[in-house]
Amino acid sequence: MSNYIVLVKQVPDVSQITDNAFDPETGTLIRSRLASVINELDCQALAFANRMKQISGDQQAKIIALTMGPPMAAEVLRYSLSRCADAAVLLTDKKLGGADTWATANPLAFAIRKIIEEILYGDQDYFIVSGMQSVDGDTAQVPGQIAQELDISCVSYATDVKYDKGLFEFERIISGGCQTVSPKATPAIITVAKYEYPLFATFAATRKANKIDLIQWGADDINATGIGVAGSKTRVIRVFPPGKTTRKCCKITDVKDFAAKIFESNHGQSQASAQMQQQQKYVLPAKRKPFDRTFEGTAKESEDFKLLGDILLELGIEDVSKITDEKKAIIISKAANRFHAKALEDMLAGFMVSQPSYQGQVWVMAEHDGPAMHPATFELLGKARELADSLETKVGVVIVGDKVEHFSNALIAAGADIVYMTEHPILKEFDPKSYRKAVAGIVEKYWPQIMLYSATPTGRILAPMVSYKLNCGLTADCTSLDIKDSSRKQQIAILMQTRPALGGNVMATISTKDSKCQMATTRPGVLKRLPDDPSRAGTIIKCPVDIAENDLSLNILKTDHAGSSVNLSAEVIVSGGKGMQSRDNYEQLLGGLISAMRNKLGTDVERGASRAAVEQGFIDRAHQVGQTGTSVGPKIYVALGISGAIQHMIGVANTETIFAINSDPEAPIFRQCDYYMAANVEDVIPQLVEELNKA
Amino acid sequence: MADNKNFNKVSVIIVGAGPAGLATAITIKKQKPHLDVCVVEKGADAGNHNLSGAALEKLQIHQLLDSAAAGWKDTEQAKDILARTIDNDNVYMFLLPKIKIKITPFIKIAKKLGLGLGQMVHAGDYLVSVSKLSKWLASIARQNGIEVLTGFSVEDIILENGKAAGVFLKEQGLDKHGNKQPNYAAPEKIYADVVVLAEGCDGLITEKFIEKAGLQRKDNQLYSLGIKEIIKVSDQQYKAFGDGTSIHSMGYPIWTPFIGPAMFGGSFMYAMGDNKIAVGVIVGLDFKYCDFNPQDALTHFKNTPFARQYLSDGQVVEAGAKMIPEGGLNAIPRDRETGDIGKFNTVIVGDSAGFVNMLKIKGLHNAIESGMLAGKAIAKNMHNTNNIAADYTRLVDASNIYREMYSARNFRQTFVKLGATFGMPFSIISNLLPQWKAEKDYQAMTSAKYRYKGNKEFDKDTFTAMAATEHREEQPSHLTILDPKICIDKCTAKFNRPCITFCPAGVYETVHDEVKPANPSNCLHCKTCQRKCPFDNIRWTVPEGTGGPRYKNM
Repeated sequence: MSNYIVLVKQVPDVSQITDNAFDPETGTLIRSRLASVINELDCQALAFANRMKQISGDQQAKIIALTMGPPMAAEVLRYSLSRCADAAVLLTDKKLGGADTWATANPLAFAIRKIIEEILYGDQDYFIVSGMQSVDGDTAQVPGQIAQELDISCVSYATDVKYDKGLFEFERIISGGCQTVSPKATPAIITVAKYEYPLFATFAATRKANKIDLIQWGADDINATGIGVAGSKTRVIRVFPPGKTTRKCCKITDVKDFAAKIFESNHGQSQASAQMQQQQKYVLPAKRKPFDRTFEGTAKESEDFKLLGDILLELGIEDVSKITDEKKAIIISKAANRFHAKALEDMLAGFMVSQPSYQGQVWVMAEHDGPAMHPATFELLGKARELADSLETKVGVVIVGDKVEHFSNALIAAGADIVYMTEHPILKEFDPKSYRKAVAGIVEKYWPQIMLYSATPTGRILAPMVSYKLNCGLTADCTSLDIKDSSRKQQIAILMQTRPALGGNVMATISTKDSKCQMATTRPGVLKRLPDDPSRAGTIIKCPVDIAENDLSLNILKTDHAGSSVNLSAEVIVSGGKGMQSRDNYEQLLGGLISAMRNKLGTDVERGASRAAVEQGFIDRAHQVGQTGTSVGPKIYVALGISGAIQHMIGVANTETIFAINSDPEAPIFRQCDYYMAANVEDVIPQLVEELNKA
Repeated sequence: MADNKNFNKVSVIIVGAGPAGLATAITIKKQKPHLDVCVVEKGADAGNHNLSGAALEKLQIHQLLDSAAAGWKDTEQAKDILARTIDNDNVYMFLLPKIKIKITPFIKIAKKLGLGLGQMVHAGDYLVSVSKLSKWLASIARQNGIEVLTGFSVEDIILENGKAAGVFLKEQGLDKHGNKQPNYAAPEKIYADVVVLAEGCDGLITEKFIEKAGLQRKDNQLYSLGIKEIIKVSDQQYKAFGDGTSIHSMGYPIWTPFIGPAMFGGSFMYAMGDNKIAVGVIVGLDFKYCDFNPQDALTHFKNTPFARQYLSDGQVVEAGAKMIPEGGLNAIPRDRETGDIGKFNTVIVGDSAGFVNMLKIKGLHNAIESGMLAGKAIAKNMHNTNNIAADYTRLVDASNIYREMYSARNFRQTFVKLGATFGMPFSIISNLLPQWKAEKDYQAMTSAKYRYKGNKEFDKDTFTAMAATEHREEQPSHLTILDPKICIDKCTAKFNRPCITFCPAGVYETVHDEVKPANPSNCLHCKTCQRKCPFDNIRWTVPEGTGGPRYKNM
């Protein structure tokens, strides 16, 4: 019989953001002004654990909820108890606060050990079930790091579970498809990506939950090895609001122009990558003029250093180590108190450092599914090339698998200098444990200064395991990577990792600390692939690995790369609303437009629908876009016969370009889109298809 | 640990965490601390389903708070929720959009003469948000050891030989077609020694109980629909309006003399602090215009020059709709034989009983008082719960609630009987007229058209978004049309499907030539549909717990 430990987290409710939640000065979202709720995927994890208990027919199994957070996080434990949990443990202590994912996973793993020992009497047959990621941090790193700390199997991105002949079989999402797996052994950690049947509270359990005593542990109870700010391996440099997009609301009367705008929007670069292009390329301090510190992490620091540099030049000072106190007083007065004595000391010390803080190459983890390389790998190589050039070092790419040498030329052509290759029959398919072992082995041997993974289902489980194993910090799902200095902290040429947080409502720039290598995963589709250069030369270094059958943690029962499910993360989404009138219309009009766009734009095009269209039975709910459906952020969103109710528009807010066609000239969507036509969809779409096909 | 307890058994179960239910709970717990007093509420949080103007008389709420929370006056909540007292009380009669008469002086004279009409004076009342008030009372109740459990829908009452044994909760986890999902949760039974029905207007369990336990109303219950928005305005506008100001108006666009529409109702504007003004209309559901949407009346009122000066360019920050029980004294449900407002160990309090004084158009103070009286009766009779309903009824009939309701007993009925135009003057002396019997609201529907049409359709989607209403989408529709044929064969030709127009949430639509509750997840739980469908063809049932609006400041 198995027991279950469910990891739950209290998060700010980013679905209900009020006006006063933003700092009026900086425009940044203030977390403490949001209501707190249980992380939605953790609700699903609870239901998933309960489902496992039900289908295995084991009524004796215990479900224990565990959370780490401030005392008010007890609320999510009461939530768990009012549904299916038998007991609940609250890990709370000031010393645990301010932790990054490393310093979160570590104490949680130690708490799990204590739960097994003290509550489950040492029974090692257990599953840890958690949501894949939390809505506030959105990193998906903690479960993988816990798996590494406890050295157990990990099934990530689970969507369903079956029980057959005493074994659980999990349905899971993999990069570009789905897979059925069964862990080779317990304990195992299961992370839930989607399970649609969250449990309801019962009256009796809710009353009990309100009266039961929670088990409360502090830092001293668990003896964890890395906690709080001190145990963290990343640091937040700055938090800032994301760039607001304002919709153009441009009316178009000619279908030809409408088609042209669609092509234009498809060719336009995504904003995130456009942003990255604008930045000035980093130059190492040794190559700059004296006292040039243009590349600080924040604009204010760059300005302060510029001011100080100018004053030093004006005073004719060349050696900053020999400045007298008298001179320092003059500098401070000249700077008109822009900085104080302590800051001046830090900055002068900063001027004395010009050696980069990290040594080594810039590496990329290659991802492939056997025959084909994942496109995100080439995007990463483009970025790695740029970073390595600024740092004057080489680009390495790590590739692990069975018979993968044939990828080498493509990787080198895309920007790699060295291909680090491990080949072994055991590594034929991705298994977190065997791949972690192989990859960590190579990194440990050569120690690059930067290692980049793509934030795909594979990358998001491999990266946390490798980084945790190697005691390195890791930043998830970055949208921008830059080399910068943090001279006041005497750090030169470090990787500034920028990523969205709190459901995309704030941006955070993060740097790595106390690590030998700076690691990050980046969002696929944001970075830019370089044009292939088949004439590039590169070397291949083969890295043998000592690996065997018992390094595999999962039995892979079935792999399906077709990916039959609805892909609302497609680059282009065409949605129909109630204005489509009937199911036949919806099918016919959308079908025609979608195939034309797919052919002509050369990208993935998926169908979406408004809630009204789903209600009327035009298409099934999996396609529903909006507040109660799926929130999407494609490059192009085409809304056909959709009025633009606020509930729908919230769900498409992250779209780059919104097109709308509606017969009602007063439709609210026209005030919230980029290009629109006030016309009947039945008339316009066939013309639009014709125009697209002509091009 | 509380492992061995039967968590499905309580001493007192109170259905509904509004002011009446919470006043009941607090009063019982203060007198009998050892009892398990439990309040269940279908809203996701206490206060989420409470909406009112609201002007609140001070006496009753002070009594309740004094008993429950010593030193309440110094709490942050009191300073926030009870911050405003009406010091600028205005009543207007709008003859046309631009022509109005201030009638406050006449009402003040009426008050001095001791006439019923004098009850329309509101000066000295608190201006409150009943959502905030309920949420606060729930937290006070919890501090006193009462279990207030939100997000649980009660489906029915369990009766054994006329005596209540407890309640049934709504089953959860069915899909749209009624099939059980993997997370299906069967209906739970809660056993209780005493059941208190405090559901608010047109209570689902209350109406079932009235029928099953053999209670009756002397006269039909009448309803009106209130539509309310909270609008954030500029500093200047708010200052000009005044922080202690209340405006009540009659006339346009609900009624205009001889030429225009003739409906019962009026509009109001209240200062709510923080540059917010609450604005709303109340319309009697005995309106006869089949194409009338009460929300249009609100738009017309907001467009009068008088309202515009305070509201123009303001931003709607919250919106909602709710029914008000207006039948008065003769519509209070009572036992056929004993006259009890309840039976044995079951009592009905607040709006569920219909304790609204139509001269004041206020019921909040009576709801609180009825709760306190029920609490008193329950605490006193726990050893013999059969006496509770009788004791409670004795207390109510000897209280201010009865006196007030008696003085207003024929006011609303006079409007029904004589129509808005003639009803208005006669209502002043309504108590000298014969006690009219009113027909049910839905029977008043005719094929007549409302005179003041809007320029464009009211944006119901944004309205429901401002009410923050949501339901789990995959549950069966909680609204049912009993006989779809009636909608097509009779209603379409005669009235052109008024439910599509009057539902403030736009729940009803024509889909493939059939009228359907197409958007049940937009429902605001106002229940107008089941009281105004001209063929009495719609039934509102309770959806899964936590569904419905999420009012915060209404």
